[in-house]
Amino acid sequence: MRDVWTVIWKEWREFRDQLLSLRRGGLSALILALILGVVAPVQLGPEWVQSKIIVGYWPFLAATMVSSLIADSVAGERERHTLETLLASRLSDSAILIGKIVAAVLYGLGFAVANLLIGLVAVNIAHRASAPILFGAQRFLVTIVLTALASLLMAGIGVFISLRASTVKQAQQAFGIAIIVLTMGPLLAFNALSYETRARVALRLAALGETRIEASVVGGLALLSAVVIGAALARFRRGKLVLD
Amino acid sequence: MSDATSYAIRAEGVTRDFGPVRALDALSLEVPKGIVFGFLGPNGAGKTTAIRIFLGLIDPTAGRAEVLGYDTRREGAAIRTRCGALLEHPGLYERLTAADNLDFYGRAWHLPRRERRERIRELLTRFGLWERRDDPVGRWSRGMKQKLAVARAVLHRPALVFLDEPTSGLDPVATVGLREDLAALAAHEGVTVFLTTHNLNEAERLCAQVGVIRNGRLLAVGSPDTLRAGRDTGRVDIAARGVTEDVLALLRACSDVRSVETGNGRLSLSLANGASVAPIVTLLVQQNVEIEEVRKARATLEDAFLDLMGLDTGENGGRL
Repeated sequence: MRDVWTVIWKEWREFRDQLLSLRRGGLSALILALILGVVAPVQLGPEWVQSKIIVGYWPFLAATMVSSLIADSVAGERERHTLETLLASRLSDSAILIGKIVAAVLYGLGFAVANLLIGLVAVNIAHRASAPILFGAQRFLVTIVLTALASLLMAGIGVFISLRASTVKQAQQAFGIAIIVLTMGPLLAFNALSYETRARVALRLAALGETRIEASVVGGLALLSAVVIGAALARFRRGKLVLD
Repeated sequence: MSDATSYAIRAEGVTRDFGPVRALDALSLEVPKGIVFGFLGPNGAGKTTAIRIFLGLIDPTAGRAEVLGYDTRREGAAIRTRCGALLEHPGLYERLTAADNLDFYGRAWHLPRRERRERIRELLTRFGLWERRDDPVGRWSRGMKQKLAVARAVLHRPALVFLDEPTSGLDPVATVGLREDLAALAAHEGVTVFLTTHNLNEAERLCAQVGVIRNGRLLAVGSPDTLRAGRDTGRVDIAARGVTEDVLALLRACSDVRSVETGNGRLSLSLANGASVAPIVTLLVQQNVEIEEVRKARATLEDAFLDLMGLDTGENGGRL
């Protein structure tokens, strides 16, 4: 556990130094936070809180942020020739990988939650109502859990992509395609179904109820994340990494 | 296994294949503790592969190796805990400051906070980097980075340090500086240093023992003196007066003399293999040349190395 925290410490230190440098990423993060945390919520108003579709927005946002960080963290180590030295240290393979994944997940989750909270404040200031505009407790919890799981899944997928990429840029490009496939794929597949099939699916989902659907999605994502992270741990081995 | 052995490294028939390519061919080697050992060889000789095997990063295809008494196949983690390494690249995090780079590896080796801080200060001061400790390493010169990488390799006071071409790409001034630092480190820290280098002058100055490797095969191992011993450079330097053009012509006509150069009252002769200098001296005396000094040039490690490279035809590998 101590070694995992050591790796997280290093990852955050690197990331902090990058964020503090406006030229190297701080400015783009600031602009992103402003648009997603203030502009979008203010324009959407109460819908930004009440719409059911918006639940999927935070996991998507977190996954996007994770993809950028994990590519830099894994493919970047190789590109910058720091990986072999890290592997020659006393840190175990699993501590290195888990540390990198946790750091990326914390970053993605943190960015999404911070945007969510800033957005809540922005909506409530811009659209004053008799009662505060807030998420329900279950909705908030499901959003956080889904965001964490989406981040975890993306981090696991990111490890695989990054291990096969020789540069950060290459990994990020592959990641962009993976995110589009993972998010747009199911929607396009659903739209490709006949009208009757889509209606039947919608009716069944409606019959299941919101809570069961959310539980199923959470369960499915958790299982998928566990499988992907497990496979990533099996793949992340010194002997292979040194020779890749 | 424990590290209660007099050898830091002991390899027996270590072979490593990468597909059809044999990177290491039955390497057998013993490196005593507490010395600077130089591993010399051209690019692609197998030096880096050997280091990777000794650190337990990759397994040998055949044979076995022990580092500090630990088996490299089964006890890689124990080896890495007790070793430090500067590999092919400095491996520094360029966005981080020098202090953070060392702090990270200090944490990785579980150095307590106070000890970590004191050690970082001690090493950065010794290498003349303390004033720049808060600079991101990316802004540093290559020489400074190499010094920091060496500091990182010895931060946790390892029993054995692997340095893979530590002075590669440095300018001569930085090379001399780093070499002095390495010598001081070996002396002060009492660590065993396993050094690979192309720089034979560096190896000659630093190493108590050297091993020469080519095409994965160890050609020779021993002290620089041992490797030099018995090697005739064929170079003779004579301080003399009265050397005329006629004398030079006579010398050039000798079958034992390959070349003759003059300058500053000295004759520099290159003799054929096994040729004696006595007949040359006799000839000069007969020509009324006044000889003040005759000196046979001592073979350098470079001579020995080049000799070994030339000798290795596949039949006499391993011969000194």
